[in-house]
Amino acid sequence: MNQISLIIQREFIERVSKKSFIIVTILMPLLMLLLSVLPALMMQFSSSDGRNIVVVDETGVIAPDLHDTEDVTFSRSAQVLDSALTMKDVAGILYIPSTAVENTSGIAYYSNGPVSMNVEGELQAQLNDIIESRRIERSNIENLRQVMDDIHSDVQLLTFRNDTDELSQESSALSFVLGIGLALVLYMFLLLYGQMVMSSIIEEKNNRVLELVVTSVKPVHLMLGKIFGIASVAVVQILIWMALLCCISAFVIPATLPTEMMSEVSAVQAGTFDAATSQYDADFVNTVATLGSVGYIFNMLFVMLLFLVAGFLFYAAIFAAIGSAVENVQDASQLSFVAMVPIILGLVLSFSAVQDPQSGLAVACSYIPLTSPMVMMARLPFGIAAWEVILSLVILVASFLFTAWLAGKIYRVGIFMYGKKPTLKDLWHWSRQA
Amino acid sequence: MTQPLLKVSHVSKRFTRHVALDDMSIEVPQGSIYGLLGPNGAGKTTLIRIINHITLPDSGEVVFDGHPLTMADVAHIGYLPEERGLYKKMKVGEQAIFFARLKGLSRAQAVTELKKWFEKFEIMEWWGKKVSELSKGMAQKVQFIITVLHRPKLLIFDEPFSGFDPINANMLKEEIMELRREGSTIIFSTHNMSSVEEICDDITLINSSRNVLSGNVDEIRRRFCKDRYVIGLADEGDKLLLPSIEPMTVERTMERNDDGTSTLKVHLSPDADVRGLINAVNEHGTILSFNEAMASMNDIFINVVESTRL
Repeated sequence: MNQISLIIQREFIERVSKKSFIIVTILMPLLMLLLSVLPALMMQFSSSDGRNIVVVDETGVIAPDLHDTEDVTFSRSAQVLDSALTMKDVAGILYIPSTAVENTSGIAYYSNGPVSMNVEGELQAQLNDIIESRRIERSNIENLRQVMDDIHSDVQLLTFRNDTDELSQESSALSFVLGIGLALVLYMFLLLYGQMVMSSIIEEKNNRVLELVVTSVKPVHLMLGKIFGIASVAVVQILIWMALLCCISAFVIPATLPTEMMSEVSAVQAGTFDAATSQYDADFVNTVATLGSVGYIFNMLFVMLLFLVAGFLFYAAIFAAIGSAVENVQDASQLSFVAMVPIILGLVLSFSAVQDPQSGLAVACSYIPLTSPMVMMARLPFGIAAWEVILSLVILVASFLFTAWLAGKIYRVGIFMYGKKPTLKDLWHWSRQA
Repeated sequence: MTQPLLKVSHVSKRFTRHVALDDMSIEVPQGSIYGLLGPNGAGKTTLIRIINHITLPDSGEVVFDGHPLTMADVAHIGYLPEERGLYKKMKVGEQAIFFARLKGLSRAQAVTELKKWFEKFEIMEWWGKKVSELSKGMAQKVQFIITVLHRPKLLIFDEPFSGFDPINANMLKEEIMELRREGSTIIFSTHNMSSVEEICDDITLINSSRNVLSGNVDEIRRRFCKDRYVIGLADEGDKLLLPSIEPMTVERTMERNDDGTSTLKVHLSPDADVRGLINAVNEHGTILSFNEAMASMNDIFINVVESTRL
């Protein structure tokens, strides 16, 4: 239809040429990048002021083995605890009672000011190591250290998929993070763009331009044009972000990692990786390998795009019906709950879906159109059979046809209703008018 | 006589809680200016929406240009709603092109036509401005252009003069007359009765969802003044003037004007004839003019609406 395409064009151009759209589209990925780099940067800055810790060691055998790190520096003190506690210009006082090797319960750290987790972790790790060594020495068993080292086990579990054709190495930790990430993106888009449809319809109704438009266009076509117009804005935005993401995954990741790791990463990608000989954590190498493979990312994002569009269409129709019924955004807040609650529920369910992607609840919710966009995204990185994805998508699209049909009926009546705050019951009555 | 451009026959429309139109019929002749009158809430807007194919009637038929009205016909209708509104953040020119294209014009056609109108109204410099930068009156002008741009056969103006200053209102009136001369048929919905007297050929008065009065404006005004005449006299005439016409009239009043002339208004008895009246008046005074009285649309409106109140 020529007129629908005109409506779509207008809607698209108006939104895409907005400054705020351009700024958000470009700044968002930069912001995300910054957020992921920020913790590392902050660590660097915060570690520059090495914390001086005074050690009061009554055993005399522990303090000599404490070694300075980026986070902490140690200085031994011959003072008793009480007098050491008067020192306020140091980061803190570590007290090791005389019985510490036998019984660690008396060990205490008196901090001047808040204690960071880094410092606490560092102290505990060092003390554990040292006390363990002291105990081994006291046991008088020959070669105990050697024996214990031999006994010590550190499993790096490599997970394979046995039910699919390709025998790819997977990391469930990565799937977990990716699942939540994808579900969050869907949640954000559905909520933001869905409400955009609603407020845009309210605005048209409010400034009465609607009266003019409907003299040329059927109300239902106007509604659909608006929904598709805004959908295309969402698609353009996500495509730009995807392109940037693919660039990062293809070029930036390989460039910033050490070359030895990259060779192991390629080993994973080639299927010749052996965890036992690796000098890096197997999970981490796997993660990098997966993120660095453009094909994997591309597949995932493509499916996400499909669900994003279908899910948006489904919810946009509901938001459109609500928008047509009210006169201002304040009045809409109550009604829009109807659309927002299932979206939020979908996100909440996603968190449980990433814990157990095959649970009955997760599987069911990834078919129900109200929650499927989010929950399917959460399950997707764990490797879902193609037919499941397609079935869920088909259900979603079919449901959109239903919500669009219903919304069209409500919209037709709603846009001419002024002066009364409608209830859900009113909307129901309108939908049944001929 | 040619067929009417628009014929609405026995149209009814009810909403959940009330009847908006009840067996409504009107005929709008080709090339006429047709007034659609009625108190607020009478059903005018519903009728206009049905003519615009926005709402569908429950029963009855709308015939446009000889065939039942379809969605395709709206390209030949231009509607200026009472509640004006444009996309605030869109530029004037782009917006006008958008609406013209919705009505089926190509972009090039739209631009050519728009330039003509913008030059005529001397508003070329608004082309690149956003609507939010325009004053209310300016936006109204733009909206008027949008309404008429696609040269519709039928134009529907809902309170077109509201929000315009007298100069611009007059300019608008000239444009409407000009459009009629070019062949457009115009439906004109308003509460301003003097403008109805001035520009409408025919009217329909709607009250409580029904057509309570339809017809030619002059005819109606006369009908409501049946047997009433207005006689202009050079002076007050002699003392016998009023007594001499008393037998043949139901009512008579003499008003003295500032310039010495007077106006005699009479209501002739049904059985008396006009010639006798003229003879009687002529005998006792100097007649300057003799006219049928015409009721004002204002009086007719109030009269009819009150008498048909349910």
